[in-house]
Amino acid sequence: MLPRCWPPDVLGVSATGPLADVEARAPAPWVAETPDPYAAERDAWTILTAAHGLGPLGFGALLTRFRTGRRILEVARGPDPIQRLMETPPVHERAGGRERPIGPAVAQAVVDAAEIGEATIRRVRQLGVRVLTVEEPAYPARLAAIAMPPHVLFVTGDPAALSMQRAVAVVGTRRATSAGRTTAGRVASALVAAEAAVISGLAFGIDGAAHEATVRAGGRTVAVIGGGHASLGPHAHTRLAAAIVAAGGAVVSELAPDVAPSRGTFPRRNRIISGLADATVVIEAPARSGALITASWALEQGRECFLVPGGLDAPASAGCLSFLREFRDAHVVAGVPQLIADLGFARPTQAGDALVNATSRTLGATEAQVASALVAGRITVDELVADTDLPVATVLAALTMLERRGLAAGVYGRYRPAGPLLGEVPRPKPR
Amino acid sequence: MLAVVPSATLYGLDGRSIRVEVDVAPGLPGFTIVGLADTAVQEARERVRGAIRNAGFTFPPRRTTVNLAPAELRKTGTSLDLAMAIGILLGSEQVRSGSGPVALLGELGLGGEVRPLPGTLPMVAAIAKRGIGRVVVATMAADEARLVDEVDVIAVATLAEAAEVVRGRRARRVPVAMPRVTISGVGSVVGEPAGSGSIREGEVVDLAEVRGQAEARRGLEIALAGEHGLLLTGPPGVGKTLLARTIPGLLPPLGDEAARSVSIVASATGEGPIHSLRRRAPFRAPHHTLSYAAMVGGGPNLTPGEVTRADRGVLFLDELAEFDRDVLEALRQPLEDGRVLIVRAGRAMTFPARFQLVAAMNPCPCGFAGSEPEGRCRCTPGEVERYDRRVSGPLRDRLDIWVSMPRIHAAALVAAREPEGSAVVAARIADARDIAVLERGRLNGRLRGRALRRACRLSGEAACRAVDLAEADVASGRGTERLLRVARTIADLAGSSAVAADHLEEAAWYRSQASRASALLAS
Repeated sequence: MLPRCWPPDVLGVSATGPLADVEARAPAPWVAETPDPYAAERDAWTILTAAHGLGPLGFGALLTRFRTGRRILEVARGPDPIQRLMETPPVHERAGGRERPIGPAVAQAVVDAAEIGEATIRRVRQLGVRVLTVEEPAYPARLAAIAMPPHVLFVTGDPAALSMQRAVAVVGTRRATSAGRTTAGRVASALVAAEAAVISGLAFGIDGAAHEATVRAGGRTVAVIGGGHASLGPHAHTRLAAAIVAAGGAVVSELAPDVAPSRGTFPRRNRIISGLADATVVIEAPARSGALITASWALEQGRECFLVPGGLDAPASAGCLSFLREFRDAHVVAGVPQLIADLGFARPTQAGDALVNATSRTLGATEAQVASALVAGRITVDELVADTDLPVATVLAALTMLERRGLAAGVYGRYRPAGPLLGEVPRPKPR
Repeated sequence: MLAVVPSATLYGLDGRSIRVEVDVAPGLPGFTIVGLADTAVQEARERVRGAIRNAGFTFPPRRTTVNLAPAELRKTGTSLDLAMAIGILLGSEQVRSGSGPVALLGELGLGGEVRPLPGTLPMVAAIAKRGIGRVVVATMAADEARLVDEVDVIAVATLAEAAEVVRGRRARRVPVAMPRVTISGVGSVVGEPAGSGSIREGEVVDLAEVRGQAEARRGLEIALAGEHGLLLTGPPGVGKTLLARTIPGLLPPLGDEAARSVSIVASATGEGPIHSLRRRAPFRAPHHTLSYAAMVGGGPNLTPGEVTRADRGVLFLDELAEFDRDVLEALRQPLEDGRVLIVRAGRAMTFPARFQLVAAMNPCPCGFAGSEPEGRCRCTPGEVERYDRRVSGPLRDRLDIWVSMPRIHAAALVAAREPEGSAVVAARIADARDIAVLERGRLNGRLRGRALRRACRLSGEAACRAVDLAEADVASGRGTERLLRVARTIADLAGSSAVAADHLEEAAWYRSQASRASALLAS
């Protein structure tokens, strides 16, 4: 898919060279009708995000002083730029903390960024990344409402996914248990049924399970990544990211495409996850998990926060329990339907049942048998064989087809129901 | 006086016929060996000298020269000892030849005893090819030598007996007080070297001893029926190695041609005296610390490696991810061609290496990824991914069947049906193999391209299913072929002439964890 491009004259870039080629293949007829009033300023901000070390605080101070991003660039490209940039006063004398929001290193970074400006713009376009600034109406309103919203959002996929009427963050540890992954999938499926967007962080474990279940259930999901779009990680989730975009979701970052994720970028990223959502649900979090940072951001931003409690001795849930004990505003998840009700998303629950029934009707006899054994909690092939009394070959063939249709999943010889089957209630089997 | 005695040496897996020429001439006493002889052959001087004296003869106090012809061929090992000693006896006229041409093969001890050698079988075959009708070998090697049809084998225990044979007087056994010594001469490796992978008779496990693991049992059966590469994945202690140890009991006996080939390899690699053609398919399980040369073959004497020792049988690599990357990569050529080419400075040699690869590995460095209790695995997801990737893509593609072996709950074990024993499964495997060989001339694991497509005869419905399933296996373009091959074997096991949709569905099950995970996202 070709990137959506703004016309070169708006950018001040001549339409020759590789860019002209892109233009030729992707004409932009909408430009003639509605000239984009934010384009020039958007490009200036995009260029400034590439300045290493320039955070929301410093950027806010610069904007207060110089009013527009274009003006900042002019100063940075003008005479004696370092000195002039460093003279920027803090926005709030007390709250700003630092005496000078722009240090010499950051000032130099701004000058450097201004110098390579066109390259940054080209890079963003080449990756097919859409840029949203906080000034624009397309910028998600929820996120704009938080303290220190990112000035610029880099988005692939549909930006509308960021502004759905209902949005819930589903987060948790990277080292999830398979029970945790299943819970994440069930919560996500239920949220899709309630027409909510699922926000998460594209990490291994809970995040991945939540995204995956949403995509499978045909919902929209937003992945907020900890680095720039060019360093999308983890590597194993590049396919997932593509699936998210293909399903009408979005992958979002506040960092310029070539910024690599680092220790500091993830906690900062977490405020966007909670900020994009009405509520944050933590599925599993061991002590000192990053998911708890997201949860505290949610509380700080005045959003709802739900945590799935775990057993007293479950290390993967220790963080959830201590968070619940510490913060009175945090809620307990008492079952998936209850969660949906607590979120105020309660809808007729028949919708979910109808989906399951529709799915099971299309299954063959042996597949249905294996599916119900899976739902009843048979994990290994041995257990499935014993439960269904079918030959091994038949069970494996049926499992293949269930897996193919997204109704079963699993690795390392242990399998579980997935997708619509998650909503099925295990029936006690006469033995 | 000049004496010429035929003998042979081992070169790789081939015997090479050698003429041992001995000249005992007047002059200062001395003993020289010429003709590209390596250290073991040079050391023969001391063994020959001792053996002649202790057998009751006299070492000639004259100028003795031994030439090994053809002179340009490098000679290794101890097979020429006996021929040199007899040559000296003939040259010094202590023994007069009273019979027709007779070749001599054997290592000598200082007491005059004749010892068996590695490679007796190919060496005797080389002598037979030369048209020499009689050969003298050590008693212990006689059965092995008799596997060669066209040769009259005479077994001797001592140098004195060999001299009697050359004189034309046969078979009055000269009793010699011979010390019972273990045989460990230079170059003669009898018995298993430590860490090598041959399995002993008593270590073959019956399949009935493996409880549960239905998926793995089925995967193993298909793999053996079609000679498909097999990878078993699971945490420590679930029985991966135990399952692999059932393999020798599940493979059908070898045919004549294969048995000859296997016997020659066994002989040349010094697996001990062979008493009849080896009908049991080799099963090699080398340890993961083995070197590159030990795997593919090589070394100064171009010794065959594990891939050749597993020819016509199974090479089992336990802890696959622990093997050196170079060692694993070296498997690609033999897996593709069924033979391995070893090139050393000035010499090249091709060894047969048509083996079936069976491997086992843990899912992650600590071994507990995905197993209960949750959280027992202390590896990060990145570590798990890297561990999985140690098995390179090309090698992955050559493993047709991947199965997981989960930890089985005790309750499930008790509830499970009584497992089938080796005999039942082996019969099914043999039937499926017969069908494949009869109808297609080869086992399904070796079907490629058009031959494979012809063999599958997909109905319309099955063809659609094949496309659908192959697309799900996004890991490799070879996915489709792999799917069809395995499905063909499943159909053979089911006695079906056409490959049906449910055969394909089952075949699609046996793919890697990695492609299973990515297929999750693709669907």
